Amino acid sequence: MNRRILLTTALAMGAALVAPAAHAQWKPTRPIELVVHSGPGGGNDVMGRALVSAIDEAKLSPVRIQVSNKVGGGGATAASYLSEKKGDPHVIGIFTSVWVTNPLVQQEANVSMRDLTPISLMVLEPALIVVRADSPYKAMAELMDAAKANPGKMKQSGGSPLARDALVRTVLQAKTGGRWAFISFPSGGERISALLGGHVDMMVIEPQEAGELIRSGKIRALAQVTDARLPDFKDIPTLKEAGFDVPNPPQPRGVVGPPGMAPDVLAYYVDLIARANKSAGWQKFLRDGILEENLLGPKETAEFLAKTETQMRGILTESGVKLVR
Amino acid sequence: MDIFAGLAHGFSVALMPSNLLWCLVGCFLGTIVGILPGLGPAATIAMLLPMTYSMSPTSGIIMLTGIYYGAKYGGSTTSILLNMPGESSSVVTCIDGYQMARKGRAGAALGIAAIASFIAGSFGIIALSVMAPPIAVFALSFSSPEYFALMALGLALVVLLAGDSLVKGLIALLVGLWLTSIGTDLFTSQSRFTFGQTSLLSGLDFMIVAIGVFAITEVLSSISDQEETQVLPVPKGFRNLLPNWEELKACRFAFANGSIVGFIIGVLPGAGASIASFISYGIERAFSRHPEKFGTGVPEGVAAPEGANNADTGGALIPLLTLGIPGGGTTAILLSALVLWGVKPGPLMMTESPDVFWGLVASLYIGNVMLLILNLPMVPLFAQILRIPVYILHPLIFGVSVIGAYSVAGRVFDILMLAGFGALGFAMARLKFPVAPLVLGFVLGDAMERALRQSLMMSQGDLSILISRPISAGMLIFAVGVLFLPLLPRFRRLKEAAS
Repeated sequence: MNRRILLTTALAMGAALVAPAAHAQWKPTRPIELVVHSGPGGGNDVMGRALVSAIDEAKLSPVRIQVSNKVGGGGATAASYLSEKKGDPHVIGIFTSVWVTNPLVQQEANVSMRDLTPISLMVLEPALIVVRADSPYKAMAELMDAAKANPGKMKQSGGSPLARDALVRTVLQAKTGGRWAFISFPSGGERISALLGGHVDMMVIEPQEAGELIRSGKIRALAQVTDARLPDFKDIPTLKEAGFDVPNPPQPRGVVGPPGMAPDVLAYYVDLIARANKSAGWQKFLRDGILEENLLGPKETAEFLAKTETQMRGILTESGVKLVR
Repeated sequence: MDIFAGLAHGFSVALMPSNLLWCLVGCFLGTIVGILPGLGPAATIAMLLPMTYSMSPTSGIIMLTGIYYGAKYGGSTTSILLNMPGESSSVVTCIDGYQMARKGRAGAALGIAAIASFIAGSFGIIALSVMAPPIAVFALSFSSPEYFALMALGLALVVLLAGDSLVKGLIALLVGLWLTSIGTDLFTSQSRFTFGQTSLLSGLDFMIVAIGVFAITEVLSSISDQEETQVLPVPKGFRNLLPNWEELKACRFAFANGSIVGFIIGVLPGAGASIASFISYGIERAFSRHPEKFGTGVPEGVAAPEGANNADTGGALIPLLTLGIPGGGTTAILLSALVLWGVKPGPLMMTESPDVFWGLVASLYIGNVMLLILNLPMVPLFAQILRIPVYILHPLIFGVSVIGAYSVAGRVFDILMLAGFGALGFAMARLKFPVAPLVLGFVLGDAMERALRQSLMMSQGDLSILISRPISAGMLIFAVGVLFLPLLPRFRRLKEAAS
């Protein structure tokens, strides 16, 4: 017994000694599959393809990287596909915040980020709170006062109740005591149409979607859901500056691997993503999409995701969504 | 820049040899994508997008948009010849198109589809060029109550699709409505009827349902009918392969109907080409002098939906080009492509990037003519497919259907679903249940439920929101009127008996 432990320890130590050399050694030998959870053209897919073309352009990968769309269940299909690829070093995926929230509310979505190997958080998507240009509300405080004065009368158009725009509403309602309706629309186009047509009063929108409508004077931004002002929107206060010190529900996007990824494989991908992050193609993608660069290593990403999960749990419970886990 | 100066400038851009070439490439690829079931224009454009990085934005958008409307031209081909919809907006074309093929008028049906596509497509483009900004304002006035009324109108048309037995039609409709409710509920994120299956979380795909109940059912039915083993009739001679004058004359109203209905519904961001094609078909049947003949292979039944899904293009591009709002999956990718090339799609695009805006509009005129020239000569050739003996053709349809279902999302699960819907369609055919109401319920049900719940959230649970708004009230009254249409002949008979 004792001898066996000794032997195992010796072997492990031996492996540990040899390992650092092996780390640098692992290289992909066949095409890498990059799993995304949206169909062609969806946010997740666009990011995946932008990442691949940035890597190709800078010639960072010795093998081809192929985007593979595993659509369904708002990320659940892609997450469960990745979890089945345990030990396969040639599969990685792109995660977003729904990979964290979905397992909390859907019985079928039984793969959480804790089951997978987080590689790198890459971006945080900022957001703006906007109203129609002819809306009487010129400042965030006026909008919130109106919501408080007319409980339940005002409306916000948005996506699913798990989406960031719904979470922003929840934290603002909790802070101000105001109450307004959240009306779900499946596509971004319908959400913006509802705002432009005057059928709803406000919307939480991604800056890239809103940019041209703000510039042409169709809508007005009242606040930005960010920690610091975005360079493109210097005149618009953050929520905190506008007097609403609430936690900003994050919209993270990054790269994740299958469960139990070997350290040398993980090191390879961390390095690949770090170099892709610096590439000209990726930097242009961030600029065009008005996204915040936020590169984190595997350990920090896992911590960030754990923190996000706790935060989401609180916000979802607050907004009355039933949690299953 | 006024419209004529703009168009003149646009043509000077679109007629440059390189842009002409890209327009042709786009239209050609689109036609092929349309013919192949499963692979849709959205997926194709997303896959080709990286190849366009180095192109000028004008050439790029001309080619990618060519794929978008080219696919709508090609979608009808397999609907007519094989009862297998190539595109979701060509599903309704199966109903009368395939029956025409069975009567030996396959070439005529293909010709009518091409001509209707051209006429209605041109109408949509002209409307886009002359009145885009005011039409965009109209589209924005549409909100959830109006969408509810529009879907209710579409659903009321079911009484016209029911065939002999209204009860059986309504049962089929309810099954369709149930099938569309499978998946994750948008408003609560709870899963409905998923039975613990991750694959069902995003619901059933329309193409899989449609290929199952049309193509697979057709193959199963003809296997079980021993007499059906002969080849479908294909008339000899070039002249007999094209629509004749009577058939074209019968489609006069359908060309206009498809143009207008398709364009108006296309402008609305919450509807799409499949809904436009169904409503146009229903309206055609409601106002026909011989509604009972629909479903047996009447040319109007092909012209109306094929016109509508092409007029939809011009409409759908309006919110995209004037406001930067995409109405559906394909236009959403076109939008992200524009952003990628550094063009800023939005209200200022028309003045800031006139090359892109007017160049694209002009290329639509050119592409539409190209598609007609590409497609019409192919008609006699395609019609020859029916000369293939059934024992080869049917396994072929089977194989293409399976590949089509798999290519929707790359899942084996979808092939099982396809088999399930084939069996369901076969059972329905045996028991004389009409399949069209099921498909109609599936297409409209989801959007209708959503619109109703959105309306009630807006009004804090007050149902009067549906009838207090003029457009919504008008459409609901029309829908109720449609419900009484089947009673008309009976009423007439009663009157005759009395006199």
